[in-house]
Amino acid sequence: MIKAYNNTWVTNLYIREIAAGWVSKNLLTSEQDAQIQKAFPEHFYRPGIFVAIGLFLFASIACSFFAGFLSLFFLDGFSDGAFGIFSIICAIAFLAALEFVIRDRKLYHSGIDNALLYAAVGAVISSFFLIIEGERPWLYCFLSLFILVPALLRYADLLVAVVTYFTAAALIALILTESALGKALLPFALMIFSFLSYMLVSRSTSIYYHKCQQILEMLSLATLYLAGNYFVVREGNALLNDLPASTQVAFAYLFYFFTAAIPIAYICLGLKKHNRILFVTGLLTLGGSIVTYRTYFLQLTISQELTLAGTFLIIVAVLAIRYLKNPKKGISDEPEAKRKFAYLEAIVAAEVLGQAPQENGIQFGEGNFGGGGAGEAY
Amino acid sequence: MTTQSILKELINKKIISGHQAEAISSFETNKGFSVHWELRSILFLGILLFSSGIGVLIYENIDTIGHQAIIAAIAILTIVCFWSVFRNSLPYQHSELKNTNKFASYVLLLGCTTFLALEGYLQFQYEIFGTKYGLAVLIPTILFFFSAYRFDHTGVLSMAITGLASWVGLTIAPLSVLTKNDFTDQRLVWSAIILGTLLALTGWLSDSKEIKKHFSFTYLFLGGNLALIASLIGSFRGEPQIVFQFAGLLFSAFYILTARRSQSLVFLLMGVVTAYIIISYMLAKLLGEALAVTLATLYFTFSSIGVILFLLKYKKFLGINR
Repeated sequence: MIKAYNNTWVTNLYIREIAAGWVSKNLLTSEQDAQIQKAFPEHFYRPGIFVAIGLFLFASIACSFFAGFLSLFFLDGFSDGAFGIFSIICAIAFLAALEFVIRDRKLYHSGIDNALLYAAVGAVISSFFLIIEGERPWLYCFLSLFILVPALLRYADLLVAVVTYFTAAALIALILTESALGKALLPFALMIFSFLSYMLVSRSTSIYYHKCQQILEMLSLATLYLAGNYFVVREGNALLNDLPASTQVAFAYLFYFFTAAIPIAYICLGLKKHNRILFVTGLLTLGGSIVTYRTYFLQLTISQELTLAGTFLIIVAVLAIRYLKNPKKGISDEPEAKRKFAYLEAIVAAEVLGQAPQENGIQFGEGNFGGGGAGEAY
Repeated sequence: MTTQSILKELINKKIISGHQAEAISSFETNKGFSVHWELRSILFLGILLFSSGIGVLIYENIDTIGHQAIIAAIAILTIVCFWSVFRNSLPYQHSELKNTNKFASYVLLLGCTTFLALEGYLQFQYEIFGTKYGLAVLIPTILFFFSAYRFDHTGVLSMAITGLASWVGLTIAPLSVLTKNDFTDQRLVWSAIILGTLLALTGWLSDSKEIKKHFSFTYLFLGGNLALIASLIGSFRGEPQIVFQFAGLLFSAFYILTARRSQSLVFLLMGVVTAYIIISYMLAKLLGEALAVTLATLYFTFSSIGVILFLLKYKKFLGINR
């Protein structure tokens, strides 16, 4: 049994979600929906996101204080070896608890199991650092993968997927930066790695890993872009070679090209293949490219840039919404589903556009300014 | 698993007919790729960037000719925004308005942000309100409250609430409550608690009286966040502590019960976390430092398992049947 969660239930859950979409569009009747609920059962405990956050928070507290409690028995032998054994014991305890809550309480990514999994994986990996001392950094990455990959395959956890991906990328980067030639080839190696991982991940058809697949696709696309981004290459080059200021890099025109072409390729492919991950990543990276170009070619004050960028975005959005009044070439402006966090916009407005306290009588137009950075991150 | 294989499963289980499966399949292949939320997010981001930029831009070019032009342009933009919102508005009603105009809510947001920039500038340059800074804050606040209710806009409502808070001298934006407020001033802690209570009550009333029911979340969230954090800080540093602790526990209870009514579990989380911190702190104080440190590991391990059990069974405790 490689999969920890009940695979049939995971599949049924997916079928029910798809069917619920059809019900909301009146393609299925509510009697049929009831039949589907009966024919495809699942009995996972899945609280809402906020309860899951609470469960995660308190499970993390319980895990760390449990470890603290256990460590009381190890206080005598305060050597690294003893701590290594202590970590392994903790990991076994967390793992046992994890398997118990999945099997007995039927949890499914509901906070507690996430916390226990991270605690267990973290304990094992930290024991590596304690037992094997003073080795090259890439060795730790290499060893960690032996824990992370099985954990990912068994529990299909999102954070584990992200950490696994970055560990693998770091492994390649750390090996390459040991030689001068490797440093020069680093951007290309990372681009190839990202591309291959996208190809590998996007071919998966498994429902069990569906969410992991999405996040890994997004990460692969993002690192493919970042590894070829002119700003990242130039500043990274300066950092790796301990240059006091960043200087022009070799093959600069190639990286200019990548910076501009990759986001556009993502957006076009996304629209053509109706692939939301490609499309959204394309939009975000396009923003990154604009920031990259203006860093080196544009001399404006930040407020001028913000005003221009804002005006540009407003015009683009308004024109696109007007243009898509009726669907064109398979692209539409119809709201597909109710947005999950619709109230988020109100909270963002409070955070960014809100007024700062007025007791000293500072002009408050300025109060808005701090929001600029946050706005870009949004 | 593709649409086709799901449909095949449904046919095999005799839930749908082959005819219906074909209809669904053709719907799935023909339906467009919706870029609705992406475009709305770009528009929203554009407004955020524009108003952040313009708010500073007017101060940068003071005493140049371009400067006057910028001010005039902002003033015209503000007027055009409000005029167009008024012209396209639907009559007021207590329930949620569904404005069919795609841009109405964004135009209103733009109008409100440029108004804020303009008014701030006029005060800075010409001191139209003199030293009555309170008035300078109160005017946009009143305008925003009016706009939020008249045109039904939760974003503008939250801007109005931040204005109200800043009139009292507080920052209410969720991420800045802790960092930007000077809670060493006990007076400010009290005003935060009072304002938070009033906002929470407003949220409760708008829900129970069904006056703009969908505004209730914004009131409860912003007000509750402020009141809970303020009473938490009062519990550690205020005088007398017990009053703040009591107030904090009362708020927590209110929010845990609110979660039951409003079906939004973020309130459950806010209430439980605050109550846990306050109770742990009170227990530690009660036991004295030496004993508390000894028992800490056991206490936190078992108490957090207790909270986990509560959260696992929250539906039963709160009587939510969902």
